[in-house]
Amino acid sequence: IKLISDAGYQGEITSVSTACHQIEVFTPVLRTSISTFLEGGEEAIDKNIPEFTKMVCHGEHTYLYSQLLMHSLAVETKGGSNMRRLCQEVHKSARSKYVLINGRGLDVTPITLALSGAAAYPRACQSLASMLSRNALNPADVTVLYKLYMTADPPLVDMIRSPQFLEMFESMLFKPGVKLNPEHKPKYVYLLAYASCVVETWRKGQRKAINKDELKATIQAIERAHNLCSENKGSSELIADVGTLFSCLKFPVAAMGILKWVDYTVSDASYFKLNTDHTPLHLVLLDEISSNHPLLHQKVLNLLMRLFESSFDELDVLVQLELKKTVLDRTVHLLSRGCILPVITYMKDCWQKQDTDISLIRYFVLDVIAPPYTHDFVQLFLPLIENEDITGSLRTNEEDDPISEFISHCRTNYIMVA
Amino acid sequence: MAARDGDVALWLHNKLGSTDDLWSGSSICSQLSREKLLSIQECFHNLQPYVKVKLMLAFLHVPKRNIEEWKVELEEILQMAQEDSDQWVAMVGDILKTYPSAGTLNTDVEHRHSFYHEVVADLRKLVRKCHDISMLPMECPYLGRAALMSVAGQQSQPVKHFALQRKPKSAALRAELLQKSSEAALNMKKN
Repeated sequence: IKLISDAGYQGEITSVSTACHQIEVFTPVLRTSISTFLEGGEEAIDKNIPEFTKMVCHGEHTYLYSQLLMHSLAVETKGGSNMRRLCQEVHKSARSKYVLINGRGLDVTPITLALSGAAAYPRACQSLASMLSRNALNPADVTVLYKLYMTADPPLVDMIRSPQFLEMFESMLFKPGVKLNPEHKPKYVYLLAYASCVVETWRKGQRKAINKDELKATIQAIERAHNLCSENKGSSELIADVGTLFSCLKFPVAAMGILKWVDYTVSDASYFKLNTDHTPLHLVLLDEISSNHPLLHQKVLNLLMRLFESSFDELDVLVQLELKKTVLDRTVHLLSRGCILPVITYMKDCWQKQDTDISLIRYFVLDVIAPPYTHDFVQLFLPLIENEDITGSLRTNEEDDPISEFISHCRTNYIMVA
Repeated sequence: MAARDGDVALWLHNKLGSTDDLWSGSSICSQLSREKLLSIQECFHNLQPYVKVKLMLAFLHVPKRNIEEWKVELEEILQMAQEDSDQWVAMVGDILKTYPSAGTLNTDVEHRHSFYHEVVADLRKLVRKCHDISMLPMECPYLGRAALMSVAGQQSQPVKHFALQRKPKSAALRAELLQKSSEAALNMKKN
């Protein structure tokens, strides 16, 4: 096996246990996989992360070793953030690895903390370890952290900036029905705001300054958003607060929280049954999130896709169709804000799977776009537009309609790849 | 003493000998003691490589106060591991050598393990070369502008795949909602 590896044929070593048996075989295989991610970006993550994490999580030693190797690359100033993402993907998979078997994931918290530099702050480290291992916040440890982060020489911001930690705080503050002791609430809000906006300046391995310019406004935004989301108001009662919600949504951390709250709210079986507005308020909030935060586009799209695929059996068939059109309007909004290829790809998938009402895809055909188009866009979109089943009824014999014009423009200016 | 060392070796083999579950190191934590660690030192060389590896990984799950208490014994075992002929054992020993005293992992392992050095040097070049491939860290969607900049650098502008001929329906909907909202707020004030 080592000879195969030394000869450069890592791709031939397909068995995880074979690859993991010797460290001198495992290391080049790890290198090949990491290179694939560095060269392929997000697409490679979608495609290869399950296989990669299976190998890295084969044993605690392979996990420790791989994380150490990736961590030493993640500290690079140029390009290191790509590696940081990879470390996080593996961490997330490890935590969820055994969820279906024994109810909990692998406990990788000691490795995560030992790598993070948290040991220099033993009290903070202890509180973090207790919460991260259990994946649950508790008032005592939050109080310890709050006090430490209030001091003039607080622990490193990175210690509380982990995705797992941020997610726990967002759930605590924005999941409907979670009861938070009012006495402790400001501490949760403070820590979440601190993690999301404070910037440290480092020189030669020393922390030189802590910039908290955005902290106060971020605290206010989270607090206001939390208050509105936890009051359990219906859409009509919330109308007067739309301005406030929109201003909170300007802060990414509050937008993430509100998105979570919208997700829970509209996923409630009775939500669309009880709502009589053509476009319910919560869905309009999704538009506002898309407008403010390109980094949240995919999360908004994921929610919209889930809604689009829900059956809503309890609603009248025509109401169902109208609702789906309303959801599609949100994706058109996403499209107008720059989330283009993921939206078109999804619609194309719907058409190819043949499980979506054709009238909905027809509804999606746009009249808001104009040239110049990119090659990628035309490759994806033209087949949809050219399909007779979808757009046949929208075309005229004279070919002076927007559909025919679009087809003619693309045929003249672009070469289609089969 | 020899009989007791044999007992400890057998105990470790029973607890950690399975190759089916390579995450089971932590299962022995509650049964560790200074005496046990001393006995382990005696029989360490005779243990199977994967038993040695799992034993060392158990140290990561030992409560902090015990780590401080048993620092010397733990370091002794890690020292033996670093000189082991099995590369996994030597590497894990090297990574964990700073753990008992500092609570950190030793990231400076390049010079002792040439295969690691070569791969990291290669990948470091690739990391720098591919810096514009944006796999954003998962915390980025939460971050304010300055914090985002510090974590992931300047974000590139999204590709403009087409021009917008006119605003989508959502724009009118937003304006309408804001109008309704200010009316509702005004009514609430009046009442």
